[in-house]
Amino acid sequence: MMEFLIAWWANVPEAAAAYALAALGLLLCERSGVLNLTAEGLMLVGAMAAMGAALQIEGYPGMALVVGMLAAALVSLLFALLVVTLRVNQVIAGLAIVFFCQGFTQLLGVMFDWQNHPVPGLLPVRIPLLADMPIIGRVLFEQNGVVYLIVPIFFAVQWVLHQTRAGLRLRSVGENPEAADAAGVSVPLVRFGAIVAGSALIGLAGGLLSVGGVKMWFPDMAGGRGWIAVALVIFARWQPWRALAGAVLFGCIESLVPRIAAAGIRVPQYFMLMTPYVITLVVMAWTAWKGRSRSSEPGALGQPFSREERR
Amino acid sequence: MRTKTLSAVLAGCAFLAAGQASVADGGFVLGAAPKPAFLYFSSKKDGGWTQAFDEARPKIEAAIGVKIPFVENVAEDALQIRPAAEKFIQRGYNVIIGTAFGYSDTFKQLAEKYPKVAFLDGSGTVNAVNLQSFYGRTYESQYLCGMAAAAASKTGKLGFVAANPFGPVIWTVNAFEMGALKIRPDATTTVIYTGAWNDPVKERAAATALADQGIDAIGQHVDTPTPQIVAQERGIYGTGHHRDFREFAPKATVCSSVWTWDKYLAPALKTIKAGEWKTEPYGAFAGIKGGATDIACCGPAVSKPNVDKIMAERKAIIDGKHVYAGPLSDREGKERVAAGAVLADGDLWKMDWYVTGVITQK
Repeated sequence: MMEFLIAWWANVPEAAAAYALAALGLLLCERSGVLNLTAEGLMLVGAMAAMGAALQIEGYPGMALVVGMLAAALVSLLFALLVVTLRVNQVIAGLAIVFFCQGFTQLLGVMFDWQNHPVPGLLPVRIPLLADMPIIGRVLFEQNGVVYLIVPIFFAVQWVLHQTRAGLRLRSVGENPEAADAAGVSVPLVRFGAIVAGSALIGLAGGLLSVGGVKMWFPDMAGGRGWIAVALVIFARWQPWRALAGAVLFGCIESLVPRIAAAGIRVPQYFMLMTPYVITLVVMAWTAWKGRSRSSEPGALGQPFSREERR
Repeated sequence: MRTKTLSAVLAGCAFLAAGQASVADGGFVLGAAPKPAFLYFSSKKDGGWTQAFDEARPKIEAAIGVKIPFVENVAEDALQIRPAAEKFIQRGYNVIIGTAFGYSDTFKQLAEKYPKVAFLDGSGTVNAVNLQSFYGRTYESQYLCGMAAAAASKTGKLGFVAANPFGPVIWTVNAFEMGALKIRPDATTTVIYTGAWNDPVKERAAATALADQGIDAIGQHVDTPTPQIVAQERGIYGTGHHRDFREFAPKATVCSSVWTWDKYLAPALKTIKAGEWKTEPYGAFAGIKGGATDIACCGPAVSKPNVDKIMAERKAIIDGKHVYAGPLSDREGKERVAAGAVLADGDLWKMDWYVTGVITQK
């Protein structure tokens, strides 16, 4: 039993990592008032670009992930152009970007023949001494590098949002762009920055799927995980620590589902496959029940900003 | 093929219902020399199902002496299938070969609209005078894979990563276990259904979970080679599906159930050319003998005596041995095939029971 639990928990950080990164990226973007539905598409871009780089430059998975981040940030400029500069409806623009990325990554990946080529990818890094601790050692200190990186990334997002002038500007743009504008903050510039920075994190999440997890690339390999990240941000009520907790919850479930079957425990399998979605609904209902008082939902979320227009 | 979920419901009944009236009036004669063209469901380099067709294509070309064009990524959507097929037909191609379950309905309509064109559809479910669906008896090759997996395993605990539980998947799972029992009477097969044909992230989680449970040989019926790559990383073994997965996991993969469509399609095209083509009302359903499937076997982890055993069974199957021959009971003890009988094709398609030794969720 203990062995089962340890093996399960040891898999949670990696399963949770992609959700956590994508959710933090989305959160950064949405706190500036831009409703971002592009995660599924940008994860696909990150996954494809990182794998392309991993196949070209062998032996530097870290570099490959950076390429994945840059590619996602680059594509997000298109989204930023649509929603910030051209003020297109953010829901429609987000969906359009997802469809574009699905087709685009498949086209490029197949054209360059990046499909079905295994790479060594990210390997687990054993942290000396700490990894020797019972239970915790195996669960927390034998993970790949990106999993450890999530801790500083999380605190960085938290710190930037709440402790820095840039974060204050970002939040004010998200809460009340007119006021921010009157105070001399460039709303388009801040939103561009938030979209690009957030998208880089989403790209890292995608790269983690291909180069970190599967170690191969397939078209459409994000498999709906971007949408789960979108839901995570909503039920985290736009607060980073809740997004992280939600990601861990999903990581727990995702790695538990096959383990129940592997252990030969006979529960209805369709029930197991639907658990993540049931949990989503339950948590959503619970957060709604508890009231919106502690929500950090940005006041101007989803609304394009135009200086000349009164709202 | 992610599509097979639907065929869970449809395959069985469609095979029984389709085409009864249409074939009654006899054969189909093509007006001119056959000019075939392929519609591929996904990319020709998908590493599995479609790539197996693309690898068969040059062999078919050599056999019938005609170049065969193809178009990739034709999704299972009438709006994509129809123009792709009609473009070929307008350019004079008169044998259209599809490669997906979801082409069935559109192919049926096209076959009625173009009675002078022959249609073939891999994993399709409908048939007519000029439309033949075909699929492989994968339980034969997966039975042999089960033998190889059990031969490579040290513990006798085997695992299996599969997409969705329905006839064509369940028959491979049962056959895998029955093959394993042939080598090791104590062998068990623990099955994880991922619920998707093409979700490598879930496949990795499933294979890792199996390996963590001490399972040391992993079979599969999903579309990506991910379970084999996990097996290689963990230093255990596995068996592939669609193509020879030694390409991805040379040490781990001891056997693969492979498609050999050239051995089915080249003779079929020759029959069409000879004007003797007669479609089968319930679909063409070929095994190792009919040229649809075979095995790529065996890796070094399978000992010589066991390789001989596997090859002897392969020969027995070609000579007419049925994997689902009675007496055969399911794991609840209910008799499924009576002594001396074999399981009928219709019962294969609607299989919803497991043999003893298969461990699944409900």
